[in-house]
Amino acid sequence: MKSEADVVIVGAGINGCALAYELSKRGKDVVVVDRRHIAAGATGRCGAGIRQQWSTKENALLAKKSVEIFEGLEEELGHPIGFRQGGYLIAIHDEEDMKQARKNVEMQKSIGLPVRIIDREEIKEIVPILDPDGMKAIAATFCPTDGHADPFKTANAYALAAIRNGATFYKFTEVRGIKVENREVREVITDKGSIKTKFVVDAAGAWSSRIAEMAGIKIPNKPVRKEALVTEPLPRIFDAMVISFRHGIYFSQMARGEILGGIPSPEEKIGYHFEPTWSFLKKMAYMLGRYAPILKGTNILRQWTGFYDVTPDALPVLGEDKNVRGFIHCHGFSGHGFMIAPMTARLLAQLITGEKLDLPIERLSLERFEKGTVKEKSVVG
Amino acid sequence: MRVEQHPILKFSHGGMIKFYFNGIEMYGFEGDTIATALYANGIKVFGHSAKKKRPRGFFCGIGKCSSCMMRVNGVPNIRTCITPLQEGMIVESDKYDLPETAPYRKPERKTMDVDIAIVGGGPAGMAAAIEAGKHGDVSVLIIDEQPRLGGQLIKQTHKFFGSSMEGAGKRGIEIASEMEEEARKYADILLETSVIGYYNRGHHFLAAVNKLKGIVYEIKAKKIIFATGAQENYLVFENNDLPGVYGAGGIQTIMNVYGVKPGKAGIIVGAGNVGLILAYQLLQAGVKVKAIVEAMPRIGGYFVHAAKVRRHGVPIYTKHSIMEAVGKESVEGAIIAQLDEKWNFVLGTEKKIDCDFIAIAIGLTPSARLAQMAGAKVKFIREAGGWVALHNEFMETTANGIYIAGDAANIEEASAAMVEGKIAAVHALNSISPLTNFEAIVEELRNEISSLRKGKFGEKARLAKERIYEGYYEELRGNRSG
Repeated sequence: MKSEADVVIVGAGINGCALAYELSKRGKDVVVVDRRHIAAGATGRCGAGIRQQWSTKENALLAKKSVEIFEGLEEELGHPIGFRQGGYLIAIHDEEDMKQARKNVEMQKSIGLPVRIIDREEIKEIVPILDPDGMKAIAATFCPTDGHADPFKTANAYALAAIRNGATFYKFTEVRGIKVENREVREVITDKGSIKTKFVVDAAGAWSSRIAEMAGIKIPNKPVRKEALVTEPLPRIFDAMVISFRHGIYFSQMARGEILGGIPSPEEKIGYHFEPTWSFLKKMAYMLGRYAPILKGTNILRQWTGFYDVTPDALPVLGEDKNVRGFIHCHGFSGHGFMIAPMTARLLAQLITGEKLDLPIERLSLERFEKGTVKEKSVVG
Repeated sequence: MRVEQHPILKFSHGGMIKFYFNGIEMYGFEGDTIATALYANGIKVFGHSAKKKRPRGFFCGIGKCSSCMMRVNGVPNIRTCITPLQEGMIVESDKYDLPETAPYRKPERKTMDVDIAIVGGGPAGMAAAIEAGKHGDVSVLIIDEQPRLGGQLIKQTHKFFGSSMEGAGKRGIEIASEMEEEARKYADILLETSVIGYYNRGHHFLAAVNKLKGIVYEIKAKKIIFATGAQENYLVFENNDLPGVYGAGGIQTIMNVYGVKPGKAGIIVGAGNVGLILAYQLLQAGVKVKAIVEAMPRIGGYFVHAAKVRRHGVPIYTKHSIMEAVGKESVEGAIIAQLDEKWNFVLGTEKKIDCDFIAIAIGLTPSARLAQMAGAKVKFIREAGGWVALHNEFMETTANGIYIAGDAANIEEASAAMVEGKIAAVHALNSISPLTNFEAIVEELRNEISSLRKGKFGEKARLAKERIYEGYYEELRGNRSG
């Protein structure tokens, strides 16, 4: 094992891999350590949707910048990522939803997103199997440049490009401690050896609070068990991701034709609970049948669980710790880590190398929780 | 393609059943599965893969490989090898449009509450049910996705060695029907029902589905015994997905259970006991066996079986393997060749053998996934056949109240599977309500199983069990210290 590195990243999920790439591109000597393998945690278990329709301008901008990177990412990394832009169709259920949607769309348009409100007829044009009655939808918002990428391919493409730039990945290697002296990061201790470094990045997803604790930092994140399922492959029917903030449901059709989706489980639990539940399976099957009645006879192939790393305001924590120099927060993505990773990684790389940041990230500092924050409303799953 | 004469088996076919294959009227017998009825009509190709359009047929014959799936009465992805043929069935291949015609009906929901749920009605599962019923007053449920009980016993036409307690001297098929009769006295039985998941809902819970009848079972159980058997190993060679390449057990199923021949002439890959016994069974059914190839320098199975096959003029090529299956839509031949010390083919030694099927008899992998879903820790143990659920001497896994028995626990043979099923049942029973003679029963069963594992042929099982127990106790210690 290497004894020294410029930056040690804990976690080989999408954020760890993307950051390793962005840093290695800037000439930094980067090491990524993961207890398991690339995309073994939330990345490989997520719905992999990429959405720009957010309720606050800052978040929408972050997502828009990410999509701009996604659009050229295959070429930049030199590996396929399975990116396609089929749009996000977000159900509007009543007048109250409509009010919020109008506000959101206006803001989203102001930053240049091609989003619009569509009626029930157009819902069926975009996703022919949807039943607006079953959805209890009066309309929807639709942004055609939202989309989807393959989480395994994307994380892997980032990792391969980072390795090409000289980054080192230590898989099946567990971080056991972080040495801090004079309020500065000195060393990362693993079960395979120690690495001297000035920067450690906490990109450990649902386990981020355990890593932060090793440096004496307390973060308010909580691991929440989430569930998803996938059906047997069907002929290609639709390209959009269908979601509802009210019902919490999301689903889309994958490259091979299978429908992948999730919904909050009636047995949703905080803590490290890995078991899938029967009540989720029943609820998701029921709701899928309501949204798209033709899917009622479809076989479900698989269900699984993963964790959201949830913060009190459902927004990520990004930036250097105020008390421990060199400790970089990159966690708390609350279920949206995949879609904004290209941009958050770029911003953190700019921060670590002392460049000017493309977007301000102060609002996402850990300290915000002391003051009280505004919760992001546009959340599913 | 039906077996006409057989020295041991008599096929009393039921009435004729009319069905439609891609719009063509065909007939099968009552008691056929869709796959065997198609076979008897000379249909080997059940469809083509969605993307690359490779021809597809059945491989395993017991519902584990998913190679035989077709659309039946509008319902997509039905495993035709385990689905009984019914009058007027519409069987279609290569249908990849939306299941618009699928006659969806809301499934009926049934809840059950039992003391011991047994998943799998083969030798281990049936033995467990009988033992539990004999020693205790408990409710026992067997769930199996096949149309009949017996697991793989129902295709064993040879006489068993084993111990007299487990029916040595009898043929597998006889043992199966005796056990079935007994098991039905003590247990409720759900056939054609697949357990789709284990969930911990504060108690052990299984979800099971009878797809064609449209019933969902929600089963609460105090203890669960997974006797889920094994699946056949596959081999990598060119065209290995052609219809006509079968698992050895798949052939035994269609031939010995349903009286349908796999083809006219074939070769067998693997000269272990399964390969040798299969060769003899094929000869009994009037099917030619052109060769048996074995990658090892020696024949793996019992000498008596090998001698019997050789007497019938079947050549056994050791240090040989299959290079390629020849054929367009189904197998028309096989190319075999010699292997060197490093398991590479020796060029120039290729032989083409004309045949219309290839049997793969290279061992089994335990089906331990449901037990794993129930929380049992698994480990890769080569001697046991791959990833196995760690368990103790009472067959209990690392998950409390979850047992595993038979081939699902480690690859052995039917007699050992039965004793394991009994041990699991007795221990489960005793932990529900203590038995007065628990120690004595277990002692006897232990003696029986160690006598089964004596000698050279028991060596692998002994080693496997040692490593499984070791892993189990390591896991327990780890949990305590962690």
